[in-house]
Amino acid sequence: MARISVFVDVQREEERLLIDAARRLGHELEVINVMHSVNWIDSRPPGEELGVSFVRCISQSRALAVASYLHYSGVPTVNNPEVLWKAGDKLITLTLLSKRGIRVPETAVAYSRTDAIRAAERLGYPVVIKPIHGSWGRYVMKAHDPDSLDDILDLKETVANPTFKIHLIQRYIEKPGRDIRAFYLWGEVPVAIYRVSESWKTNTARGARAVPAKLDNEVVEVAVKAGDFIGGGVLGIDLMEDREGEVYVSEVNGIIEFRNTVRVTNYDLPAEMIERSIKELRR
Amino acid sequence: MVKLICPLCSSTVEIPDDALDGELFEHDACGAQVEVYVEEGKKKLRLAEGISEDWGE
Repeated sequence: MARISVFVDVQREEERLLIDAARRLGHELEVINVMHSVNWIDSRPPGEELGVSFVRCISQSRALAVASYLHYSGVPTVNNPEVLWKAGDKLITLTLLSKRGIRVPETAVAYSRTDAIRAAERLGYPVVIKPIHGSWGRYVMKAHDPDSLDDILDLKETVANPTFKIHLIQRYIEKPGRDIRAFYLWGEVPVAIYRVSESWKTNTARGARAVPAKLDNEVVEVAVKAGDFIGGGVLGIDLMEDREGEVYVSEVNGIIEFRNTVRVTNYDLPAEMIERSIKELRR
Repeated sequence: MVKLICPLCSSTVEIPDDALDGELFEHDACGAQVEVYVEEGKKKLRLAEGISEDWGE
């Protein structure tokens, strides 16, 4: 038995599954709603009673804040803030992975509208425009021609969030009606799903269907390397296959959503998350 | 009351019979703000837009 803490803001099905698993495994559990608590930054440590802490805030900003407070106070945290920071920023993720030899979609970073249009011309239409921070596929847009790109950039440049003026322009990869979500747990990929959709966006949050996936060893190896390069822990690695069968890592997720994976695979992912994290962090 | 499935936590939410398309509710059990919408004559729920752009993975 171990002591574990789960930090939440709102509770999704994932948090319920994680809490149920912790109870079933007989761990001593504390659930902390960060919306009703205060972390004091002073010399007193947050307390050994927290044990291994799982940061499960739905808000990426709150998750990074909570993970930073805990980790730099000496609390073993899943995931640690550096991992959340790297995974939460597509520019950092893609740059880190590309420099380590992982195939990622050809991507340009442009800081002005003019250069974004030039980059798109060089990549060739259609192109995908992404924010550097984003979730559930929001603000990910496809431009089929210069006119539609112009409209998209118009919209992005008028959004108050200044990071929207940093443009990630990607070559569009024609997927075979699905992508891959590989779940990385401390150096292994024990389970994966295909996310099947007629839409070019294959997020399950946007209605893609989860189907159990048996991945080739080569794909597993890519996912493991990607997880290792981001810093390890518990991650969701998103991979795309193109029509020629080449595999690309499109992004890495630091706070995974897994309800559909548990439902279609019967793999006890929340229990494995807990047990493997305790084993790693109590060493 | 109409019983619907919360899109966030998947448990049941009770919504008044006269709930309007686009009406917002807070789901007490999980804290989600949900929006009623009507598809093919049936009431359904989705997460309310604009809660925060940094929600989710």
